[in-house]
Amino acid sequence: MLDRRTLFGATTAVGSFVGAAFGGRKASAKTTFTDKNLSPAGDVNKRGTVGRFERIPDLDVESKWDFVTGFRVFQQKFTPVAMKRIDAIMESKGLDPKGQYTMAEAVDLVKDDLLVQTSGRTWISNQQITWKIIQDYYHEHADEYLAEMEAADNDGPGTLELNPDLDIPDYIRREIHIMPGGYIGDAFAGHMYHHGTNSFTAGISFLGPNDQDQLQTRMVDRLPLPRDGKVKRILDLGCAFGRLTVALKERFPDAEVWGIDVGGPLVRYGHMRARDLGIDVNFAQRNAEDTGFPDGFFDIVTSHIIHHEIPSEQNKKVLAEAYRITRDGGYYYPVDFANRGDKGPVYSQYRRWWDHRWNEEPWSPEFVAFDMESAMEDAGFTLNHDTPAVLPGFGKRHGEKLA
Amino acid sequence: MATSKLKTDRPTYASDFIPSDVERAVFLGNPVLDNMMTSLIALGAEVWSNRRRMKVVEALLADKGVTTEMIEQYMPTAEQEAEWQKDRDRFIDLTYSPLLREGDLPVSAAFTRDNK
Repeated sequence: MLDRRTLFGATTAVGSFVGAAFGGRKASAKTTFTDKNLSPAGDVNKRGTVGRFERIPDLDVESKWDFVTGFRVFQQKFTPVAMKRIDAIMESKGLDPKGQYTMAEAVDLVKDDLLVQTSGRTWISNQQITWKIIQDYYHEHADEYLAEMEAADNDGPGTLELNPDLDIPDYIRREIHIMPGGYIGDAFAGHMYHHGTNSFTAGISFLGPNDQDQLQTRMVDRLPLPRDGKVKRILDLGCAFGRLTVALKERFPDAEVWGIDVGGPLVRYGHMRARDLGIDVNFAQRNAEDTGFPDGFFDIVTSHIIHHEIPSEQNKKVLAEAYRITRDGGYYYPVDFANRGDKGPVYSQYRRWWDHRWNEEPWSPEFVAFDMESAMEDAGFTLNHDTPAVLPGFGKRHGEKLA
Repeated sequence: MATSKLKTDRPTYASDFIPSDVERAVFLGNPVLDNMMTSLIALGAEVWSNRRRMKVVEALLADKGVTTEMIEQYMPTAEQEAEWQKDRDRFIDLTYSPLLREGDLPVSAAFTRDNK
């Protein structure tokens, strides 16, 4: 009998290769659909599950997803080719190839070179195709997948709070990552973001496959405890569809865990997924600048890659809010890019530029130049520099609220 | 690459968004070249989708006793070979004959009665 899971496990041959070659860990998430034999009311599950991953519901869509993921890996081969070309350009202009340049300077140097530009064009085209194949599928089958979410909205475990009247700031209304509608503008933002980010991380060597939430599980395993060891309540700020939220509950099963995000469709999908996994977490459509939680409510506040999607002034407000809702002795640990300043080698600056300008990362350059550590201290946190990085390669920012 | 708009009477909890202008991006100096690059990648996704489906079919056939080995060893008849080659040549012609085109007139070239 053909074992479809063996043949087409969500972690593809490409993903497995990436993980094996670059040290991506095997799945270590605790809960799987199979463990609990869950079949909640209204669940649409057309092709079964692999661990905790509900397979992409259509073979052709899955295969195209597999292609774009493989293409992301291939795309990395442009780097040495483009860098060689850039070296020649720099030499012809009498410039230092190893010098540090701004994004504007880098773009000006390479804008007329077709090979270098092909590296950007192919990345963006592949990204557009990734979103299109997923969005087209869910729009075509919208009725059954909207009905699936409706069946889950008021079901548990866990709760869902949606607020269609939420005042969503313009800075987050953008089509971040050129995902159609961004985080807030499409009923299937959660579905798209789930499959899209799985493709994205599988195509990045140091992140690796994430179909079993490996990345979030690794992060949560490395989170420190508060100094007194007490963890009653945890908040995941800007939780998207709740991968980190769910992983937090799995590590701290006795804690009350919340995930908030401005994206209604994101938290809605996140609630449905957590409910399908039988995990008791609370999702709410709220703004990280003004969470609505009481002072000192949480022992741990954390977040994953939200700050680079926020302008500096608003980041200061989010940090002030995180400080307000953290209890004395608790902490905020935001996982996001390291702040590296606004200069770098030409090709890396060119990549940052296309990511910023054409992959719709409007605030990313501003964040990279932002002094996040000082801003956390200005908000009141005391940085603990002895804590190891929760996600190596990203910023290390363990901000304690000392009594 | 056009994205679809969802029409439904069901609640979506989606909000107004600010569209990106990525559709206007020109990396390669000519939007047609950019478009061709996107088409080429999309074509790859379609071709791979077919090949991957074929792998499923082969795996299912193996369950029924038709093994990969039998597929590899299969010898077409002369008639089949001739028919398949015609199909192959149609595929090649459709895909690659545009590469042979020697265009030399700018789009603004004026019409004259001597155009041939």
